[in-house]
Amino acid sequence: MDIVVTQNKLDFALTNVSRVANGRASLPILGNILLRTDKNKLIIASTNLEIAAIHRVGVKVSKPGSITVPAKLVTEFIHNLPKDTIHLQVKNNQLYIKSGNYSSTINGVIDDEFPELPSVDAKNAVSYQITTNDFKTATNQTIVAASSDSTRPVLTGVYWHSYNNYLYCAATDGYRLAEKKIIKTSSELSAIIPTNTLQEVLRTQKEDTQEIQILFDDTQVTFLFDDTEITSRLIDGNFPDYRQLIPTKSNTSFSIDEGEFNRVTKIAGLFARESGGGITITVDAEKSNIAVHSVASEVGENTSEIEVSVSGESGSVSLNSRYLTDALSVIDGKTVMFEFSGKLAPCILTSESKKSDYTHIIMPLKS
Amino acid sequence: MSRAVWQTVLDEVELSVSRATFLTWFKNTELVSLTENEAIVAVPNIFAKRQFEVKFDTQIRELFEKQGQKPKLVSYVVQTSAKKPVISRETTITKSDTVSTTPLPRQALGSRASTLNPRYTFESFIVGSSNDLAYSACQAVSKNIGTKYNPLFLYGGVGLGKTHLIQAVGNEIMKGSPEKSVLYISSETFVNDFLESIRFKKKGFADKYRNVDVLIVDDMQFIAGKEKTQEEFFHTFNALHQANKQIIISSDKPPRSIPTLTERLRSRFEWGMSIDIQMPDFETRCAIVEAKAAVSDIELSRDVIEYLANSIKSNIRELEGALNQLLAYCEMRGLEPDIATVEGLVGNIRYSRPQHISPKQIIDRTARHFQLSSVEICSEKRDKHIVTPRQIAMYLLRSELHLSFPKIAQELGRKDHTTAIHSVEKIERAIKLDLLIREQVAEIREKLYA
Repeated sequence: MDIVVTQNKLDFALTNVSRVANGRASLPILGNILLRTDKNKLIIASTNLEIAAIHRVGVKVSKPGSITVPAKLVTEFIHNLPKDTIHLQVKNNQLYIKSGNYSSTINGVIDDEFPELPSVDAKNAVSYQITTNDFKTATNQTIVAASSDSTRPVLTGVYWHSYNNYLYCAATDGYRLAEKKIIKTSSELSAIIPTNTLQEVLRTQKEDTQEIQILFDDTQVTFLFDDTEITSRLIDGNFPDYRQLIPTKSNTSFSIDEGEFNRVTKIAGLFARESGGGITITVDAEKSNIAVHSVASEVGENTSEIEVSVSGESGSVSLNSRYLTDALSVIDGKTVMFEFSGKLAPCILTSESKKSDYTHIIMPLKS
Repeated sequence: MSRAVWQTVLDEVELSVSRATFLTWFKNTELVSLTENEAIVAVPNIFAKRQFEVKFDTQIRELFEKQGQKPKLVSYVVQTSAKKPVISRETTITKSDTVSTTPLPRQALGSRASTLNPRYTFESFIVGSSNDLAYSACQAVSKNIGTKYNPLFLYGGVGLGKTHLIQAVGNEIMKGSPEKSVLYISSETFVNDFLESIRFKKKGFADKYRNVDVLIVDDMQFIAGKEKTQEEFFHTFNALHQANKQIIISSDKPPRSIPTLTERLRSRFEWGMSIDIQMPDFETRCAIVEAKAAVSDIELSRDVIEYLANSIKSNIRELEGALNQLLAYCEMRGLEPDIATVEGLVGNIRYSRPQHISPKQIIDRTARHFQLSSVEICSEKRDKHIVTPRQIAMYLLRSELHLSFPKIAQELGRKDHTTAIHSVEKIERAIKLDLLIREQVAEIREKLYA
């Protein structure tokens, strides 16, 4: 192999790909990055056998070839080089890197042992074209509710599925639930994408990425954007039928400025650290205001009142302030609607903005 | 058939590739079907699928051919549970944590080698009146994982079959539903793992113990006095119990008799079902000797079996040892195991057993156990705290020494033998119903033979 490539292109690709490589895996070669020429492109790839990340970088190829090298070392070396052209050569299982006054040799391993990289076959796949914005919003808004408890694997992912001709994504950890309607669709889908994969896709997207293509088959998903291809296994299992959990009506509801609601929740949360984040929201329909209250028996207590427009009856509900701030930090629109029915039924948080299509459910605290 | 073919393929591949490669790609693979036209190989994930299609396909075809199998097509499929029908439970999203989930197959979680000994099964366990309750409870648990008796707590003296039973549950579950992950450990392993996780800040401790469907902990008593470990076990216990995972524990004492066991653990252990395994009775011991001999294809005469069963009363492990010694001895000398050989041999083994227990010893032991004097037990007094011990003494005289009722009455200074009959019957009944009496009798008996 003998190629010339610019530092910034190579650096970007390596930084993203090396995150996936895992030096502690049972198969040592998984800690390496694959470099392989493909016509006038350089394929840079790594995998941890859950996710595979592939970048294609335009290069000047004088001699085709391939090698795998330790991910961390090559990434950090390239990252620290000045923005200039880099000359890469492979001889005797060694990678020679030369750029201006800097040169180094890295011992590599031939790519024979490197796993073949899977990808979804576009012919048999369910495919979606989504704008980066939509993807980012939907992912950020749902991932927050996903569980990290690996005893229930299906809840550690985000459930992408079609329902009544729309594509939805949803996540829950058993205490809260987030659902986002994304786009109209005619194809059938039911897939659980691991949160790690979604985070990886979010991290890898550039500022100017416009669109992202997502291909699903029964067991895997591939994200295609720019010169990047990320393929991941899907989580095996059935997502709970969460729709029956979303209440269809509520006794009390109020709409409130998102920023203000977030502020009082955070303040109340300061006094709720002892009690596991528990804060109480009391709605007074006659005075048309709400009071957010929290107590720390050793430290003191806090009450904030805000005027809001209330519909329905008065009431109060206790919930975990962290769940509420998590939801408020990802919800879109300036004004949000909070609904609940008594102390035990789920609380619903939605955006007043018409375009939002976002629903967040939080279970109240038992007390 | 297809299993044997695949095993041969695996064996050959294992020799030609590195260990890491073999474990990464070939572990958890399976030949699903094999016909003239097509061989279907199940692999655990998409990465493996691709790897097989591109890298290993030629080699696998060759190895098939070597065994005379020439399928026209070899295809690789990812094994998932999603395609199997799933009966969904009612789903709610509440604090009580009942969002229903389907378990991921073990392949996907990366299965760990089973620590169960396959020799311990329900079939090889010999059931008698002393352990039938424990046996049925274990069977029930293996059929209703996490729902029937959770936790299941088995206790009893050494060598009575606790380990056999709890491992049998594990083996039975693995057989019936191989996708369940069963973890069998001794409490010592738990302690060590916990210490290591603290000392080397190792991660994965919680993962190891909280990611299982069935957790079996042997010899729980060793956790006594280790406060931090108990606390950790308490959390593990809660996490599993809340997720409806089965917990099975064995110990040599009931929870409340384990010293320095924290109150919250004790109450949790007593939450489900706790059952004791008693010393086997004579008939059970005979059956055990017979069964063990049958495993070695040797038929013993009735008197040999009975002699063995009679000489070693309180420990099945010792009984097995004696039998093994006898069989080995006879095999080496080319003798038939007859009663004379047994007497000669077992006489040596019975070093820890007094030849004779006198009635006086039984009365003394019983009295001492209840902090009474033997004079009091034999007196005319009818206070409650003396009557029960007196009845227990009569029961033991009957069960251990097979004394006649008039003789029992005489030993305890009674004139009427019907008192003795009544007492023995009463304790026999009480043993079945009253845990306290049962334990006291067992303890006295243990001391007698100690």
